[in-house]
Amino acid sequence: MRSRLLWALAVPALLAAHHPTPTVVLVKQADLIRRTLPGATQFFLRDVTIGKADLGRIQEQIDFTPDDPNVKFYLGKRADGQPAGTVFFPQVNTAHGPLEVGLTMTPDGVIASAVVTKATVETKPWVEEAVATGLLERFRGMRYGDSLETALSGVAPDRMARMSYYEAEVITTAVHHGLVLYHELFRD
Amino acid sequence: MTLYHLREMHRSVKLAALLFLLVLGYAYVFAFLMVKTWAGLTPAEVQATYVPAAATDTMAMPEHSTSAVQPLDLSRVPEMKHTVDTALLIQDSHIHIMIYAIVAALLSLIILGLGWPGWLRDGAIVGAFGFGALDFAGQWLMKAGLPGFAWLTILSGWGMALVYVIVLLGTIRAIVPSQVR
Repeated sequence: MRSRLLWALAVPALLAAHHPTPTVVLVKQADLIRRTLPGATQFFLRDVTIGKADLGRIQEQIDFTPDDPNVKFYLGKRADGQPAGTVFFPQVNTAHGPLEVGLTMTPDGVIASAVVTKATVETKPWVEEAVATGLLERFRGMRYGDSLETALSGVAPDRMARMSYYEAEVITTAVHHGLVLYHELFRD
Repeated sequence: MTLYHLREMHRSVKLAALLFLLVLGYAYVFAFLMVKTWAGLTPAEVQATYVPAAATDTMAMPEHSTSAVQPLDLSRVPEMKHTVDTALLIQDSHIHIMIYAIVAALLSLIILGLGWPGWLRDGAIVGAFGFGALDFAGQWLMKAGLPGFAWLTILSGWGMALVYVIVLLGTIRAIVPSQVR
Protein backbone atom coordinates (compact mmCIF):
# COMPACT_ATOMS: atom_id res chain seq x y z
CA MET A 1 0.00 0.00 0.00
CA ARG A 2 2.79 2.35 1.00
CA SER A 3 4.81 1.63 -2.14
CA ARG A 4 1.71 2.26 -4.27
CA LEU A 5 1.34 5.61 -2.60
CA LEU A 6 4.98 6.42 -3.29
CA TRP A 7 4.55 5.49 -6.95
CA ALA A 8 1.40 7.59 -7.12
CA LEU A 9 3.41 10.57 -5.89
CA ALA A 10 6.61 9.81 -7.80
CA VAL A 11 5.16 9.24 -11.27
CA PRO A 12 3.45 12.65 -11.60
CA ALA A 13 6.58 14.27 -10.14
CA LEU A 14 8.77 12.54 -12.73
CA LEU A 15 6.39 13.52 -15.52
CA ALA A 16 6.36 17.09 -14.27
CA ALA A 17 10.16 17.12 -14.24
CA HIS A 18 10.18 16.41 -17.98
CA HIS A 19 7.71 19.10 -18.91
CA PRO A 20 9.08 22.05 -20.82
CA THR A 21 8.10 25.21 -19.00
CA PRO A 22 7.03 28.61 -20.33
CA THR A 23 9.60 30.90 -21.84
CA VAL A 24 10.65 33.96 -19.85
CA VAL A 25 12.16 37.14 -21.23
CA LEU A 26 15.16 38.14 -19.11
CA VAL A 27 15.99 41.25 -21.13
CA LYS A 28 13.80 42.86 -23.78
CA GLN A 29 15.44 42.95 -27.20
CA ALA A 30 14.78 46.68 -27.69
CA ASP A 31 16.29 47.45 -24.27
CA LEU A 32 19.40 45.43 -25.05
CA ILE A 33 19.87 47.14 -28.43
CA ARG A 34 19.54 50.56 -26.80
CA ARG A 35 21.82 49.65 -23.90
CA THR A 36 24.66 47.98 -25.79
CA LEU A 37 24.82 50.52 -28.63
CA PRO A 38 25.00 53.66 -26.45
CA GLY A 39 26.49 55.94 -29.11
CA ALA A 40 23.90 55.05 -31.72
CA THR A 41 21.36 57.68 -32.70
CA GLN A 42 19.86 55.85 -35.68
CA PHE A 43 18.85 52.22 -35.89
CA PHE A 44 18.33 49.92 -38.85
CA LEU A 45 17.12 46.38 -39.34
CA ARG A 46 18.99 44.15 -41.76
CA ASP A 47 16.83 41.17 -42.57
CA VAL A 48 18.90 38.41 -44.18
CA THR A 49 17.09 35.61 -45.99
CA ILE A 50 19.40 32.61 -45.83
CA GLY A 51 20.28 31.01 -49.16
CA LYS A 52 21.21 27.38 -49.75
CA ALA A 53 24.90 28.17 -50.25
CA ASP A 54 25.23 30.03 -46.95
CA LEU A 55 23.12 27.45 -45.14
CA GLY A 56 25.47 24.76 -46.40
CA ARG A 57 28.51 26.65 -45.09
CA ILE A 58 26.77 27.28 -41.76
CA GLN A 59 25.79 23.63 -41.38
CA GLU A 60 29.39 22.53 -42.04
CA GLN A 61 30.31 24.39 -38.85
CA ILE A 62 27.35 24.08 -36.51
CA ASP A 63 24.20 22.04 -35.97
CA PHE A 64 21.79 24.63 -37.32
CA THR A 65 18.28 24.18 -38.68
CA PRO A 66 16.56 27.54 -39.13
CA ASP A 67 13.09 27.86 -37.62
CA ASP A 68 12.83 31.01 -39.67
CA PRO A 69 14.78 31.51 -42.92
CA ASN A 70 15.21 35.20 -42.03
CA VAL A 71 17.91 36.28 -39.59
CA LYS A 72 17.56 39.76 -38.16
CA PHE A 73 20.54 42.01 -37.45
CA TYR A 74 19.91 45.31 -35.66
CA LEU A 75 22.38 48.01 -36.69
CA GLY A 76 23.16 51.20 -34.85
CA LYS A 77 24.76 54.27 -36.42
CA ARG A 78 26.21 57.33 -34.74
CA ALA A 79 25.15 60.86 -35.56
CA ASP A 80 28.03 61.13 -38.06
CA GLY A 81 26.80 58.04 -39.91
CA GLN A 82 29.57 55.76 -38.63
CA PRO A 83 28.47 52.29 -37.50
CA ALA A 84 28.17 51.85 -33.73
CA GLY A 85 27.72 48.09 -33.81
CA THR A 86 25.32 45.28 -34.56
CA VAL A 87 23.03 43.33 -32.26
CA PHE A 88 21.37 40.02 -33.03
CA PHE A 89 19.80 37.18 -31.10
CA PRO A 90 20.99 33.61 -31.78
CA GLN A 91 18.85 30.97 -30.11
CA VAL A 92 19.52 27.36 -29.15
CA ASN A 93 16.61 24.99 -28.56
CA THR A 94 17.11 22.30 -25.94
CA ALA A 95 14.98 19.66 -24.27
CA HIS A 96 14.46 22.20 -21.47
CA GLY A 97 13.26 24.93 -23.81
CA PRO A 98 14.88 27.72 -25.81
CA LEU A 99 17.80 29.87 -24.74
CA GLU A 100 18.46 33.13 -26.56
CA VAL A 101 21.57 35.27 -26.31
CA GLY A 102 21.77 38.92 -27.35
CA LEU A 103 25.14 39.38 -29.04
CA THR A 104 26.48 42.85 -29.71
CA MET A 105 29.32 43.04 -32.22
CA THR A 106 31.65 45.97 -32.75
CA PRO A 107 31.97 47.23 -36.34
CA ASP A 108 35.18 45.21 -36.70
CA GLY A 109 33.51 41.94 -35.77
CA VAL A 110 34.46 41.55 -32.11
CA ILE A 111 31.98 40.65 -29.36
CA ALA A 112 31.24 43.79 -27.37
CA SER A 113 28.59 42.21 -25.18
CA ALA A 114 26.81 38.90 -24.66
CA VAL A 115 23.63 38.76 -22.60
CA VAL A 116 21.14 35.94 -22.07
CA THR A 117 17.82 37.43 -23.13
CA LYS A 118 15.48 34.46 -23.03
CA ALA A 119 15.30 31.27 -20.99
CA THR A 120 12.46 29.29 -19.42
CA VAL A 121 10.90 29.18 -15.99
CA GLU A 122 12.78 25.92 -15.43
CA THR A 123 16.19 26.97 -16.74
CA LYS A 124 16.29 30.55 -15.42
CA PRO A 125 17.94 29.69 -12.05
CA TRP A 126 20.55 27.51 -13.78
CA VAL A 127 21.22 30.24 -16.34
CA GLU A 128 21.60 32.80 -13.56
CA GLU A 129 24.11 30.59 -11.75
CA ALA A 130 26.08 30.09 -14.97
CA VAL A 131 26.06 33.83 -15.68
CA ALA A 132 27.20 34.58 -12.11
CA THR A 133 30.51 32.86 -12.89
CA GLY A 134 31.41 35.72 -15.23
CA LEU A 135 30.98 33.56 -18.32
CA LEU A 136 29.40 36.31 -20.42
CA GLU A 137 32.16 38.82 -19.64
CA ARG A 138 34.75 36.33 -20.88
CA PHE A 139 33.18 36.33 -24.35
CA ARG A 140 33.99 40.02 -24.74
CA GLY A 141 36.75 40.67 -27.26
CA MET A 142 36.33 37.29 -28.94
CA ARG A 143 35.65 36.99 -32.64
CA TYR A 144 34.83 34.34 -35.24
CA GLY A 145 37.46 31.62 -35.17
CA ASP A 146 38.42 32.08 -31.52
CA SER A 147 38.03 29.11 -29.20
CA LEU A 148 35.09 29.76 -26.90
CA GLU A 149 36.31 26.93 -24.69
CA THR A 150 38.56 29.54 -23.08
CA ALA A 151 35.47 31.32 -21.75
CA LEU A 152 33.78 28.09 -20.71
CA SER A 153 36.90 26.84 -18.93
CA GLY A 154 36.39 29.60 -16.36
CA VAL A 155 33.24 27.83 -15.19
CA ALA A 156 34.07 25.23 -12.56
CA PRO A 157 31.63 22.32 -12.96
CA ASP A 158 32.49 20.92 -9.52
CA ARG A 159 31.40 24.16 -7.81
CA MET A 160 27.94 24.42 -9.28
CA ALA A 161 24.79 22.42 -10.00
CA ARG A 162 25.14 20.01 -12.89
CA MET A 163 22.34 21.74 -14.80
CA SER A 164 23.96 25.15 -14.33
CA TYR A 165 27.11 23.88 -16.02
CA TYR A 166 24.91 22.44 -18.76
CA GLU A 167 23.35 25.89 -19.26
CA ALA A 168 26.85 27.41 -19.41
CA GLU A 169 27.54 25.00 -22.27
CA VAL A 170 24.25 25.96 -23.97
CA ILE A 171 25.11 29.67 -23.65
CA THR A 172 28.53 28.98 -25.17
CA THR A 173 26.85 27.08 -28.01
CA ALA A 174 24.50 30.02 -28.66
CA VAL A 175 27.44 32.45 -28.78
CA HIS A 176 29.28 30.10 -31.13
CA HIS A 177 26.23 29.86 -33.39
CA GLY A 178 26.00 33.65 -33.32
CA LEU A 179 29.62 34.11 -34.41
CA VAL A 180 29.14 31.68 -37.29
CA LEU A 181 25.89 33.34 -38.40
CA TYR A 182 27.46 36.77 -38.19
CA HIS A 183 30.50 35.65 -40.18
CA GLU A 184 28.47 33.95 -42.90
CA LEU A 185 25.48 36.25 -43.19
CA PHE A 186 26.48 39.73 -42.13
CA ARG A 187 28.41 41.16 -45.02
CA ASP A 188 28.93 44.80 -45.90
CA MET B 1 -37.63 17.96 -8.96
CA THR B 2 -36.03 19.83 -6.10
CA LEU B 3 -32.69 18.54 -4.85
CA TYR B 4 -32.12 21.10 -2.15
CA HIS B 5 -32.68 24.81 -1.64
CA LEU B 6 -29.62 26.93 -1.00
CA ARG B 7 -31.99 29.54 0.42
CA GLU B 8 -32.95 27.13 3.23
CA MET B 9 -29.45 25.95 4.04
CA HIS B 10 -27.51 26.86 7.15
CA ARG B 11 -25.88 30.29 7.05
CA SER B 12 -22.41 28.70 6.84
CA VAL B 13 -23.34 26.81 3.67
CA LYS B 14 -24.52 30.04 2.05
CA LEU B 15 -21.36 31.78 3.19
CA ALA B 16 -19.17 29.01 1.74
CA ALA B 17 -21.02 29.12 -1.60
CA LEU B 18 -20.76 32.90 -1.85
CA LEU B 19 -17.10 33.03 -0.86
CA PHE B 20 -16.26 30.25 -3.30
CA LEU B 21 -17.87 32.23 -6.10
CA LEU B 22 -16.22 35.51 -5.12
CA VAL B 23 -12.77 33.96 -4.87
CA LEU B 24 -13.38 32.15 -8.15
CA GLY B 25 -14.21 35.51 -9.71
CA TYR B 26 -11.01 36.90 -8.22
CA ALA B 27 -9.09 34.09 -9.93
CA TYR B 28 -10.99 34.70 -13.18
CA VAL B 29 -9.78 38.33 -13.24
CA PHE B 30 -6.20 37.06 -13.28
CA ALA B 31 -7.11 34.32 -15.75
CA PHE B 32 -8.39 37.04 -18.07
CA LEU B 33 -5.21 39.08 -17.63
CA MET B 34 -3.09 35.98 -18.20
CA VAL B 35 -4.93 35.12 -21.41
CA LYS B 36 -4.72 38.77 -22.55
CA THR B 37 -0.96 38.83 -21.86
CA TRP B 38 0.09 35.42 -23.14
CA ALA B 39 -2.41 34.44 -25.81
CA GLY B 40 -4.38 37.54 -26.79
CA LEU B 41 -8.08 38.20 -27.13
CA THR B 42 -8.50 38.33 -30.90
CA PRO B 43 -8.62 35.35 -33.28
CA ALA B 44 -5.37 36.48 -34.94
CA GLU B 45 -3.52 36.66 -31.61
CA VAL B 46 -4.90 33.33 -30.44
CA GLN B 47 -3.95 31.69 -33.74
CA ALA B 48 -0.42 33.10 -33.46
CA THR B 49 -0.15 31.42 -30.05
CA TYR B 50 -1.45 27.97 -30.94
CA VAL B 51 -1.20 27.32 -34.68
CA PRO B 52 2.18 25.68 -35.37
CA ALA B 53 4.60 27.73 -37.47
CA ALA B 54 5.26 26.35 -40.92
CA ALA B 55 8.59 24.54 -41.03
CA THR B 56 11.29 26.14 -43.14
CA ASP B 57 11.45 24.40 -46.50
CA THR B 58 15.19 24.36 -47.22
CA MET B 59 14.55 23.06 -50.75
CA ALA B 60 12.57 26.21 -51.53
CA MET B 61 15.37 28.50 -50.33
CA PRO B 62 17.08 30.77 -52.85
CA GLU B 63 20.57 29.70 -53.89
CA HIS B 64 22.19 32.79 -52.40
CA SER B 65 21.30 34.82 -49.34
CA THR B 66 19.60 38.15 -49.84
CA SER B 67 19.23 41.01 -47.43
CA ALA B 68 17.18 44.15 -47.02
CA VAL B 69 17.93 47.08 -44.75
CA GLN B 70 15.26 49.38 -43.41
CA PRO B 71 15.20 52.13 -40.78
CA LEU B 72 14.07 50.89 -37.40
CA ASP B 73 12.00 52.54 -34.72
CA LEU B 74 13.23 50.83 -31.55
CA SER B 75 9.91 51.38 -29.86
CA ARG B 76 8.44 49.07 -32.48
CA VAL B 77 10.82 46.12 -32.11
CA PRO B 78 8.40 43.24 -31.67
CA GLU B 79 8.87 41.50 -28.37
CA MET B 80 8.84 37.76 -28.07
CA LYS B 81 5.47 36.27 -28.89
CA HIS B 82 4.54 33.56 -26.43
CA THR B 83 3.63 30.41 -28.28
CA VAL B 84 2.27 27.11 -27.02
CA ASP B 85 3.88 24.05 -28.57
CA THR B 86 2.42 20.56 -28.36
CA ALA B 87 4.38 19.62 -25.23
CA LEU B 88 3.25 22.75 -23.40
CA LEU B 89 -0.34 22.24 -24.57
CA ILE B 90 -0.30 18.72 -23.10
CA GLN B 91 0.90 20.22 -19.83
CA ASP B 92 -1.70 23.00 -19.92
CA SER B 93 -4.47 20.55 -20.86
CA HIS B 94 -3.87 18.05 -18.09
CA ILE B 95 -3.90 20.76 -15.42
CA HIS B 96 -6.61 23.01 -16.80
CA ILE B 97 -9.15 20.39 -17.88
CA MET B 98 -8.94 18.73 -14.47
CA ILE B 99 -9.38 22.07 -12.67
CA TYR B 100 -12.21 23.06 -15.04
CA ALA B 101 -13.97 19.80 -14.17
CA ILE B 102 -13.57 20.38 -10.42
CA VAL B 103 -14.81 23.97 -10.71
CA ALA B 104 -17.74 22.85 -12.90
CA ALA B 105 -18.65 20.19 -10.32
CA LEU B 106 -18.61 22.78 -7.50
CA LEU B 107 -20.65 25.22 -9.59
CA SER B 108 -23.10 22.39 -10.29
CA LEU B 109 -23.51 21.75 -6.57
CA ILE B 110 -24.54 25.38 -6.16
CA ILE B 111 -26.72 25.35 -9.29
CA LEU B 112 -28.62 22.34 -7.96
CA GLY B 113 -29.73 24.37 -4.95
CA LEU B 114 -30.83 27.52 -6.75
CA GLY B 115 -34.35 26.32 -7.43
CA TRP B 116 -34.07 27.05 -11.13
CA PRO B 117 -36.35 25.47 -13.74
CA GLY B 118 -34.94 22.30 -15.24
CA TRP B 119 -33.95 23.82 -18.58
CA LEU B 120 -31.93 26.58 -16.92
CA ARG B 121 -30.39 24.26 -14.34
CA ASP B 122 -29.31 21.66 -16.90
CA GLY B 123 -28.20 24.31 -19.37
CA ALA B 124 -25.99 25.95 -16.76
CA ILE B 125 -24.50 22.59 -15.72
CA VAL B 126 -23.79 21.63 -19.33
CA GLY B 127 -22.28 25.08 -19.87
CA ALA B 128 -20.13 24.80 -16.74
CA PHE B 129 -18.60 21.53 -17.93
CA GLY B 130 -18.85 22.08 -21.68
CA PHE B 131 -17.19 25.48 -22.14
CA GLY B 132 -14.03 24.33 -20.37
CA ALA B 133 -13.83 21.24 -22.56
CA LEU B 134 -14.51 23.27 -25.71
CA ASP B 135 -11.82 25.80 -24.73
CA PHE B 136 -9.16 23.09 -25.00
CA ALA B 137 -10.86 21.39 -27.94
CA GLY B 138 -10.35 24.66 -29.82
CA GLN B 139 -6.70 24.83 -28.77
CA TRP B 140 -6.03 21.26 -29.94
CA LEU B 141 -7.86 21.83 -33.23
CA MET B 142 -5.69 24.90 -33.85
CA LYS B 143 -2.65 22.81 -32.99
CA ALA B 144 -3.87 20.32 -35.61
CA GLY B 145 -3.64 23.10 -38.18
CA LEU B 146 -7.22 24.38 -38.13
CA PRO B 147 -6.77 28.07 -37.21
CA GLY B 148 -10.48 28.87 -37.61
CA PHE B 149 -11.12 27.18 -34.27
CA ALA B 150 -9.59 30.19 -32.50
CA TRP B 151 -13.21 31.37 -32.33
CA LEU B 152 -14.17 28.25 -30.41
CA THR B 153 -11.52 28.93 -27.79
CA ILE B 154 -12.44 32.61 -27.49
CA LEU B 155 -16.19 31.96 -27.26
CA SER B 156 -15.62 29.17 -24.75
CA GLY B 157 -13.69 31.56 -22.51
CA TRP B 158 -16.52 34.08 -22.61
CA GLY B 159 -18.98 31.20 -22.12
CA MET B 160 -17.26 30.20 -18.88
CA ALA B 161 -17.46 33.81 -17.71
CA LEU B 162 -21.16 33.96 -18.62
CA VAL B 163 -21.97 30.79 -16.67
CA TYR B 164 -20.04 32.18 -13.70
CA VAL B 165 -21.95 35.49 -13.74
CA ILE B 166 -25.32 33.73 -14.03
CA VAL B 167 -24.50 31.42 -11.11
CA LEU B 168 -23.17 34.32 -9.02
CA LEU B 169 -26.31 36.38 -9.60
CA GLY B 170 -28.52 33.36 -8.93
CA THR B 171 -26.64 32.64 -5.72
CA ILE B 172 -26.85 36.23 -4.47
CA ARG B 173 -30.56 36.17 -5.26
CA ALA B 174 -30.96 32.92 -3.35
CA ILE B 175 -29.08 33.89 -0.21
CA VAL B 176 -30.21 37.48 0.22
CA PRO B 177 -33.33 37.47 2.43
CA SER B 178 -36.42 38.10 0.32
CA GLN B 179 -37.58 41.05 2.49
CA VAL B 180 -34.27 42.79 1.67
CA ARG B 181 -34.92 42.28 -2.00
